[in-house]
Amino acid sequence: MGFGAVGKGVAEAILLKNDFIKENYGFELNIVAVADSSGSAISKEGLDLKSLLEIKSKTGKVSNYPVYGTDIKDMDVLDNVEYDCLVEATPTNIETGEPAKSLTIKAFNDKKNVVTSNKGHLALFFKELMDESQKNNVQFKFEASVGGAMPIINFAEETLSSTDIESIIGILNGTTNYILSRMTSEGSSYENTLEESQQLGIAETDPTQDVEGIDAACKTVILANIILGIPCTYKDVYVEGISKITSESIELALKEGYLIKLIAEVSKNALEVSPRLVKKNSPYAVDGTLNMATLKTDLADEVTVIGKGAGSLETASAMLTDIINIYK
Amino acid sequence: MKMNLVLELQDIPGQLVSVLSPISSLGTNLVTVIHKREDKNERGLIPVQITLEGEQNNLNAVISKLNEMQITILEVDGVILREKLTTILIGHVIDTNVKDTMDKINGLTGVSIVDFEVKLAGELESSAKLVVESDFGMKKKVLNKIQEIALEKNFLVVSEV
Ligand SMILES: NC(=O)c1ccc[n+]([C@@H]2O[C@H](COP(=O)([O-])OP(=O)(O)OC[C@H]3O[C@@H](n4cnc5c(N)ncnc54)[C@H](OP(=O)(O)O)[C@@H]3O)[C@@H](O)[C@H]2O)c1
Repeated sequence: MGFGAVGKGVAEAILLKNDFIKENYGFELNIVAVADSSGSAISKEGLDLKSLLEIKSKTGKVSNYPVYGTDIKDMDVLDNVEYDCLVEATPTNIETGEPAKSLTIKAFNDKKNVVTSNKGHLALFFKELMDESQKNNVQFKFEASVGGAMPIINFAEETLSSTDIESIIGILNGTTNYILSRMTSEGSSYENTLEESQQLGIAETDPTQDVEGIDAACKTVILANIILGIPCTYKDVYVEGISKITSESIELALKEGYLIKLIAEVSKNALEVSPRLVKKNSPYAVDGTLNMATLKTDLADEVTVIGKGAGSLETASAMLTDIINIYK
Repeated sequence: MKMNLVLELQDIPGQLVSVLSPISSLGTNLVTVIHKREDKNERGLIPVQITLEGEQNNLNAVISKLNEMQITILEVDGVILREKLTTILIGHVIDTNVKDTMDKINGLTGVSIVDFEVKLAGELESSAKLVVESDFGMKKKVLNKIQEIALEKNFLVVSEV
């Protein structure tokens, strides 16, 4: 569900990796339905991903797919096809969590696994979604929802399984990191830099979710729940964005050897997204659209991960990893 | 016996020598010197770690001498003595009585503002850099105080991670 940047990325990733998956994990992926906001393409024999991508890019609608294109939408798509796993990449909605929430719960009730890149429904209804997935004995994976391709959830759960993770402090939004990095290197104002990022397609036309810290706050909620076991929702996070940051403040920070970054802090003492000072030579000093996170553990001390927080194929890579982890 | 000190010194030639000569005259030997240039700030200050060897009395005399010379001792044998806190304030810093802001912070015991710089942005808004030195353990208190002032005067506080 959802055939935008991420959905198309998943299709491309499967085209690139299906043989590899078969060879290494012994199963093949067959896409039996794809939906966007206008309709869907459904075929139990499987859709040809190449032509699907072509049709979407030419006409903007997957419903134009020959023979199997239909105007079946939303929840109805799930009732019109036999499938094992819902790959959900519809837009993040921080008001209601829809359509992701209803689609996901329906899939759970139909005993299907779900892999998502969405964070709205997780930030609002984490516990409810987890309870539903457990009740139905299905798997629910969302590595891509935090930090795109940067490994963090699977990394904490599997690679750091011997340690107790006490806190996570990181940069969880690439757009704001790009804006702050450019303001630092160019000495430019917030307004001009935002405009530049919009022209480059790094910031969206409505940049609110990124610049006001909403996107990072959603990710804070997800990490708090899944890694630190802190039951919380979006409203529990203190959020301050970057729109008040001036080039003068960045200049003053630089004089003391600091950079200003939009930092998410996830711990028992603080659930917070705010502009903070980080040392120039520290692990927090990553530039551009990169994301990073430092996990403070009891046994391994601090461990830092860095990676691409967004991008079509990059985000799809995390979703494909989730799918492989379910079926290998 | 040995003693490790972390001092805060100007990163200019001669500065270290002027600190070290009184030390050697106090009957202690210098074992190592490490300049932490990567932590240099705009005021040209860097942490310098020195290891000394000597009798306890002589080592104590070194500390007194350094205090007398008004050299900031950040650490003795891994124990932090003075903590530094840097924050950036964004808002109507000038219009809301700068002196009052500074007095409120300086009013805390064992706390002193070592640097304060304001830059104007546009008509009224300004950004200020505030560097505060405090006795060990006071950092949280200082930050709370700054946040209290910020709440009252509607500043955005950008604090260290
Ligand atoms: N972009 C990234 O790098 C990135 C990284 C990490 C996480 N994410 C998350 O991944 C999700 C997708 O992001 P994106 O960048 O791919 O967004 P996008 O480009 O806006 O794509 C959203 C897709 O969802 C479709 N859609 C909207 N309502 C739908 C509905 N009711 N049923 C089925 N499909 C519907 C849209 O249809 P139309 O094509 O008809 O408009 C579009 O294809 C978001 O939740 C986002 O937060 C994105």
